[in-house]
Amino acid sequence: MLSDLLYRLRALSRRKSMEAELDEELRAHLERQVEKYIQSGQTREEAARRARLDFGGLEQVKEECRDARGVNLVETLIQDVRYGLRMLAKNPAFTAVAVLTLALGIGANTAIFTLVDAVMLKSLPVANPQELYRVGNDDNCCVIGGFQGNWGIYSYSLYQQFREHTPEFSQMAAFQGGLGDLSVRRGGASRPAEAYAGEFVSGNYFTMFGISASAGRLIAPADDRPGAPPVAVMSYRAWQQHFGFDPSVIGATFIINTMPFTVAGIAPPGFFGDTLRSDPPDFWLSLSTEPALNGQYSVLNHADMHWLYIIGRLKPGAQPASVQSELTAEVQHWQGAQPDLTAQNRSELGKQHIVLAPGGGGVARLQADSTMGLRLLMAISGLVLLIACANIANLMLARGAARRTETAIRTALGAPRRRLIRQMLTESVLLAVLAGATGLLVAWSGARAILEIAFRGASYVPISPNPSLPVLGFAFAVSLVTGIIFGVAPAWVASRCDPAEALRGAGRSTHDRSSLPRKSLVVLQVALSEVLLIGAGLLTQTLRNLENQKFGFETQGRIIVRVDPTLAAYKPEQLYALYQQLRQRLTQIPGVLSAAYSLYSPMQDENWATDIPIEGRPSDERDNASFDRVSPHYFETIGTRLLRGRVITEEDTPTSPQVAVINQTFARKYLPNQDPIGKHLGFLKPSEFEIVGVVEDAKYMDARGPAYPTFFLPFLQTAKDPKLSWLERSQYMGDIELRVAGRPENLNAEVRRTLAGIDPNLTVLDMKSLSEQVAQNFNQERLAARLTELFGALALILACVGLYGVTAYSVARRTNEIGIRMALGADRKSVLALVLRGALGLIVLGLAIGIPAALAGGRVLASLLYGVKGWDPLTLGLGAVALALCALVAAFVPARRGTKVDPIIALRYE
Amino acid sequence: MSNERIDLPQGTLDLLILKTLALGAQHGWAVSERIQQISSDVLRIQQGSLYPALHRLERRGWIKAKWGASENNRRAKYYELTKSGRKQLEAEETAWQKLIAAVGQVLETA
Repeated sequence: MLSDLLYRLRALSRRKSMEAELDEELRAHLERQVEKYIQSGQTREEAARRARLDFGGLEQVKEECRDARGVNLVETLIQDVRYGLRMLAKNPAFTAVAVLTLALGIGANTAIFTLVDAVMLKSLPVANPQELYRVGNDDNCCVIGGFQGNWGIYSYSLYQQFREHTPEFSQMAAFQGGLGDLSVRRGGASRPAEAYAGEFVSGNYFTMFGISASAGRLIAPADDRPGAPPVAVMSYRAWQQHFGFDPSVIGATFIINTMPFTVAGIAPPGFFGDTLRSDPPDFWLSLSTEPALNGQYSVLNHADMHWLYIIGRLKPGAQPASVQSELTAEVQHWQGAQPDLTAQNRSELGKQHIVLAPGGGGVARLQADSTMGLRLLMAISGLVLLIACANIANLMLARGAARRTETAIRTALGAPRRRLIRQMLTESVLLAVLAGATGLLVAWSGARAILEIAFRGASYVPISPNPSLPVLGFAFAVSLVTGIIFGVAPAWVASRCDPAEALRGAGRSTHDRSSLPRKSLVVLQVALSEVLLIGAGLLTQTLRNLENQKFGFETQGRIIVRVDPTLAAYKPEQLYALYQQLRQRLTQIPGVLSAAYSLYSPMQDENWATDIPIEGRPSDERDNASFDRVSPHYFETIGTRLLRGRVITEEDTPTSPQVAVINQTFARKYLPNQDPIGKHLGFLKPSEFEIVGVVEDAKYMDARGPAYPTFFLPFLQTAKDPKLSWLERSQYMGDIELRVAGRPENLNAEVRRTLAGIDPNLTVLDMKSLSEQVAQNFNQERLAARLTELFGALALILACVGLYGVTAYSVARRTNEIGIRMALGADRKSVLALVLRGALGLIVLGLAIGIPAALAGGRVLASLLYGVKGWDPLTLGLGAVALALCALVAAFVPARRGTKVDPIIALRYE
Repeated sequence: MSNERIDLPQGTLDLLILKTLALGAQHGWAVSERIQQISSDVLRIQQGSLYPALHRLERRGWIKAKWGASENNRRAKYYELTKSGRKQLEAEETAWQKLIAAVGQVLETA
């Protein structure tokens, strides 16, 4: 084997001399044979002729000798590559179109599968993720009370219950459902506090995940006890980006929300916590520090406040199904033992259940949110790859046909068939390699662009845009196979036919073997483009409908400033003074027309819902409603109209009568067929707040659904009842709203300056226009719309290129026929009609397949659409007309060229 | 000279070449002449097909080639059997004998 290889290599390196030797050897043979015949009395000519006859074809023998020596394989490969590159360079238009088409197909697929892989398939970077299970599969967030039905979020008390009574788990850890804002300053440093994301986790959180610190140590169960010194774990990324890997950070004291913590260590690189999300935690704090950090607004010791997600590691051999029913029994038992259960609660006890979900991917919030979107993306990119492959196939077939004369000549000159095919194969592979390299670039920038659109507003997303290798390999293989099949097939067909026949008929034959497959491919392209175009139309309309819907507030000319006075350690009694000057100072900024503040602002993706008693409703029954605290002029500032009664004003002070404003849905749902003004509602008793006004419905959380029943309360009005201490948290504003003249961005610096003037510790967590805040709710929809638009346009262009190619090719082939027709008296119009009829047939056939397919696609899309039906006739019609027009133009250009043919020249052609 | 020449069965050319070279180093033309003579012109071999076979055998290491002077002092490429070529010849001869014996037996008895 080795000697064989050495022989081949030597043969290759000494090619010139070996070639000379071969020449000499064969010539010597012939000379001897000639001599032999001369000696037997023949003339020299006769002898030479017979010797050559005896010997056979000299060149053929030489080629066989080269083959036998094994030089040929490598040598012809080099030749083929060289020739292939020359051919590609000679047809730059063909090469560019083919490479770009394939690159886009490969790139788009690679980009999207990279994201699918990261979001849906990858496990958390922890030990044995397949052993992890999440208790519950619903992403109820972030602090809720009452029954959940399908449970997903739990109080600390419930977590303890599960941890102690479910022995099938070797470890069970709890962590905060939603991240909290932290205001962090290094102890002794003069820099002002900065905003970070933080998460409370149980002491066994890191042990449960089975990960170890990259520096220092992680939080241990001993840190999660009341009275233990407060420690924090910093993320690797925060350590890198904010502290430059400073080793002195470990063990240093950090002031987090005015409370000193020791940074025990750094989490491993790549660990982003329990949930794949944008802006993951920078600090992990133990649950035991929550009461001290959140003070009287702590939820840790409220058995009825559910705010923790639970993930556990099942012991080997434990049956998830039986653990699930065990947990369901536990939650029912626990719930049944709670005080203050209403009769309604008791009747619903049996419906409470828990689903045990695989937890290796962490809390599947992003997965749940984006599954549909990602599936859609996969479908779209698959379609584009199909279209790209169809285009490549078409180009290859056209070129194969165009090169029939060349193939025939080469066959006539003695080129073996497999050599011809190998040549074509080499060219196809070259194309695919070029496209693969370009596709890599497309994939990388594509994935980055998609991440940017998908996570608009995020400063960091723990998803790498680098394409995963298997994904890239797959896309590359698909394109390679396409290139090979459609590159080799025409060569095979061409090489099979009799060269004499081919040469005689070259360029003149009306019979075209590749015409049917080419036409079918164009029909397929038209159909697929139609599907994509209509999909793009539907999704674009959905996005437009969502963004331009009647929200119940004005999105233009509004600024939202996110702040949190608790981070600056405001006590409840200090709030009144803060609020008093806040509005006044902000209104003084030139350009600010009105200013307000609230607990939540519209479409901010946060919600506080609770069960409340309402006057006039059956006693012992509670109704679930969302609530918000708002300042005077709030509704006017965000542009929500008052329908009845009055809004909250400066007269509603902590000491004035307690009032509430409700929205329309609240009135319709809970106080139907009566005047809600003057009725009462409350948290404990249905008499705490008097309803003084009704405002129009505005959407705060779910842009697709109707507004939630909501009641608005003034700040600092609450019954003094120790049972309501959890409600104190709602006294702190979360957002400041400004109605401004001119561009909202222009006021950025002035607003920050004014707030710092009121209190330098009042950290601005975020500032953006309300329209941007709304827009960030539609990241997925925008992504889907933009990508289908892009891909739809791409598909349209590809289909047109395909149709252009087919028409141009058929015109070229029929030059002769057209010439005869015109010579016999056909005018240009009828020739044009003749050519266009063919193209129109393809378009109509494509649409006939594409429209039903688009209708089926619309059915699949139905759940993603908003304000438009999957079978929207306008979209369908516009898509079909647009496609038909573009395609007709693509066919018209070469068809018109056909009519310009001079009959005399056409007849003389070839 | 007989008019009834037969084509060489597939794969037997290698065996014939090896056998011919077992008698001593030869150049290509001589090998073809010799096979022709010994077989009393019954076997029909296209002379050209000899050379690819020679090159193939050389690559397999069963024969080796060197340039030398021929009878009338002309340069010629001589092929000779190597040690492994001799072994290969024995193996192929045995296989061939077995084959014709088996075929003969079938023809006689069937």
